[in-house]
Amino acid sequence: MKREKDFKFILVDILLIIGIILPIVCGMVLDVLTSPAVDGVNITGARIYFTINMPIQDFPITEAQINSAIVVISLLFLCLFLTHGIKEKPDSIRQHIAEYIVEKTDSLVHDNMGRYFMSFAPFIAAIMGISLLSSLLSLVGLFPPTSDINIIAGWSILVFFIITHYKMKCGPLYYLKGLTEPIVLLTPLNILGEVSTPISMAFRHYGNVLSGSVISVLITAALQGLSQKLLGWIPGTLGQFPLLQIGLPAVLSIYFDVFSSCLQAFIFAMLTMLNISTAFPQEDYLARQRRKAEKRRIRNAGKMISTN
Amino acid sequence: MLVPEVQNLDIISVNIWQMLVSMINLLLLLLIIKKFLYKPVREALSKRKETIDGQYSDAARAKQNAVSAQRAWEDKLSEAQSDADAIIDEARIAAKRKSDDIISAADAKAKVIVHRAQVDAELEKKKAQASIRGEIVDVSMLLTEKMIGREINETDHRKLIDSFINGIDSADGIGDDDNVNNQ
Repeated sequence: MKREKDFKFILVDILLIIGIILPIVCGMVLDVLTSPAVDGVNITGARIYFTINMPIQDFPITEAQINSAIVVISLLFLCLFLTHGIKEKPDSIRQHIAEYIVEKTDSLVHDNMGRYFMSFAPFIAAIMGISLLSSLLSLVGLFPPTSDINIIAGWSILVFFIITHYKMKCGPLYYLKGLTEPIVLLTPLNILGEVSTPISMAFRHYGNVLSGSVISVLITAALQGLSQKLLGWIPGTLGQFPLLQIGLPAVLSIYFDVFSSCLQAFIFAMLTMLNISTAFPQEDYLARQRRKAEKRRIRNAGKMISTN
Repeated sequence: MLVPEVQNLDIISVNIWQMLVSMINLLLLLLIIKKFLYKPVREALSKRKETIDGQYSDAARAKQNAVSAQRAWEDKLSEAQSDADAIIDEARIAAKRKSDDIISAADAKAKVIVHRAQVDAELEKKKAQASIRGEIVDVSMLLTEKMIGREINETDHRKLIDSFINGIDSADGIGDDDNVNNQ
């Protein structure tokens, strides 16, 4: 009976691991099947697979879209895998990892945003996870969705909505009044400041990831040219061998793909937290709540007196 | 090669639908993480916390019980000690009273005995005196007979009377008797 259960458990585990890896492998296969032969330096955006006609603008399904879907599916199976067989008393490494993630994001949100925003921990974890895994897709040769401005712009516009929602917690009039401070003359600049937050966040992340890929491509191309200059006099295929491409691109990849990915994911999450928490006028909001409660009490008292 | 003519986006191309889809992706991932990572982990953590709290409170309760039991035992022990002290005191007092009784009873008895002895001695003495007096009477009768029988010697007579009187004074008739017998 117990062995059967164990067998089932292991089977589910294997299925979940396949669920993590299979989307990435499918993406790699798709990438290999559709990638054109590249000659020389070729820096472009995401490859378009097909285009859907939509009202305002055509909707091209690109590599970035496919890859971010891959990231979401992989993360779904990763979550399922980490919490599979979770127990009150932890006995597996994956449960420790899951608890570590939860507690770490909890403490991060608590330290940076305060107790009021504790429900934002899953959102921050989602931003970190999707950003990190999207950037790390470049390690397996896939197009990283984070080097497409549209993807990150979507996230940062969502963050912008949240920021504006919290700025409007004290009512839209309070928000509009906030735009005219400290003097009315600065209103255009204030509006510009509001709008620039998501744009700056999107471009920071996008630019960092894209610049990494561009520099990698450029250096690889340059090294190929240099090795052709060095070994070009040797006849045959040996002359075409890109000897200098061994080594340096790997080191650069560690910086641009791994380190920069982690750093940008962290920075994006930090900026999200700080922007949201500073956007919320907590004292004013609490004072407003108190005033409202006071008013309600007075009204109720008046009602009681009138009914009596 | 599945797609013969590959099109690429420009390196910066803004597309609303792509943004929207990416936003929806993020929201979807948020839901996924909330439901499949945070919820089970939080449940496990809260359950663990509950268990640990329960164990702590159990331990505290057990400790409290132990302390109260210890106090009760100590109370009982001191009570028993005081009880024992009281019993010993009582016994001591009772023993003293008893010994006092015994001693006083013995004293009284001794007094009675001494008194009886004194009374007896007095009686004996009186008896002896009575008997001596009787003897004296006998002796004086004998003497008077003798005196009547022969000539009275005045000096002897006087001497006899003196000794007689002495004998009466000293209330010791035996010496006198002896003297009388010797004569």
